Amino acid sequence: MSDHCVTCSDEGVPMRVVAVDSRQSTALCAAEDGSESTVQIELVEPVAEGDAVLVHAGTALVRL
Amino acid sequence: MKFVDEFRDAELGRVLAGEILAAVEPGRHYKLMEVCGGHTHSIYKYGVDDLLPANVELVHGPGCPVCVIPMGRVDDGIAIAREPGVIFTCFGDMMRVPGSEGTLLEAKAAGADIRMVYSPLDALRIAKENPEREVVFFAIGFETTAPSTALTLKRARAEGVPNFSCMCNHVTIVPPLRALLESPDLRLDGFIGPGHVSTVVGARPFQFIPADYGRPVVIAGFEPLDVLHAIRMILAQLAEGRCEVENQYKRVVPWEGNLRALEVMAEVFELRPHFEWRGLGFISQSGLKLSEAYADLDAEQRFSVPGVRVADPKACQCGEVLKGVIKPWECKVFGTACTPERPIGTCMVSSEGACAAYYNYGRFARDRQVV
Repeated sequence: MSDHCVTCSDEGVPMRVVAVDSRQSTALCAAEDGSESTVQIELVEPVAEGDAVLVHAGTALVRL
Repeated sequence: MKFVDEFRDAELGRVLAGEILAAVEPGRHYKLMEVCGGHTHSIYKYGVDDLLPANVELVHGPGCPVCVIPMGRVDDGIAIAREPGVIFTCFGDMMRVPGSEGTLLEAKAAGADIRMVYSPLDALRIAKENPEREVVFFAIGFETTAPSTALTLKRARAEGVPNFSCMCNHVTIVPPLRALLESPDLRLDGFIGPGHVSTVVGARPFQFIPADYGRPVVIAGFEPLDVLHAIRMILAQLAEGRCEVENQYKRVVPWEGNLRALEVMAEVFELRPHFEWRGLGFISQSGLKLSEAYADLDAEQRFSVPGVRVADPKACQCGEVLKGVIKPWECKVFGTACTPERPIGTCMVSSEGACAAYYNYGRFARDRQVV
């Protein structure tokens, strides 16, 4: 059983922004374990490389 | 890692536990509800309850979105998944939630094209890669996942992806809390408020709890020290005769929430008149559906679904567990007929379900002895 339940509304994953695609409003983000995924960043724009964000179900909800 | 390690410090945990012990009145029993399944998971993973005095009882609330999905909705999802040409996408835990005739995982084994995704954006990508197939995303969750679904639907519209649609099961947090507070069989002294839901909705929507029901609320983070700190703050309110919404999780939760997220949700969703919650029954204006402007992306309009209400299995007591009326191990089938491998009820499915949290962190045997 993983620590993170992706279904849950209340288990966010802190991630670090690696590269921003501002045209698409997405960013490649890395989790603590090094895994990377594309995240929607409309709700926290503008973000820059190196920023920490809290991600739920592929969307950054808040800048940390 | 920053924001994590410093909130797992064992020495600070013992200090907080001492302060909690000092704050309780001898002879008074405190019943506090952690609303969110993320808190339930954290409490049992880190043994937070072991640090609490015997007269501080934690009651597990309805805040696990998998656990509150009724069987009829699973049946509706399976009906869509079985349609020819459909690729049905959903989050992993949802695959194991039983409907009246099995789970999505069993439907997949029987030939339906059902795929696990980590985000609605993944589902949209599958739709773009398979333009000849209809791709349906089974959306669940509270106000933390709803913005993700809303943004993805806006993206589908903007990019012109006609083969993408969404079966919306999103729910909102305030109506079930009000229903619980109205419930005569549950007396609570305070609430540990849901941390990440509040990053979206803010703290203001919870003000009805102190205002209308006279109970304190402390919005809390998910690390063990967050939960202990929130408990201490609730006890302080009770001791001082205060009753208000406080924000323990200020490092993440802004008081006013995320206004952009609320705007995009208001554009894409509207409230359903009623939505059924497992164990809690129908609660008015507690579920979301796609708004008129996005109705063409609504899978329930694109496909025919049975829409039949299905009663929960008789042996299953998820309803009482979700309301905090009984502890998971008091359910007749807990750990015997119902296990995480073969769940009967939804609370045993998700890692955030109260039953799964008890079962997986070894609470079964010890709690039996206490009884």
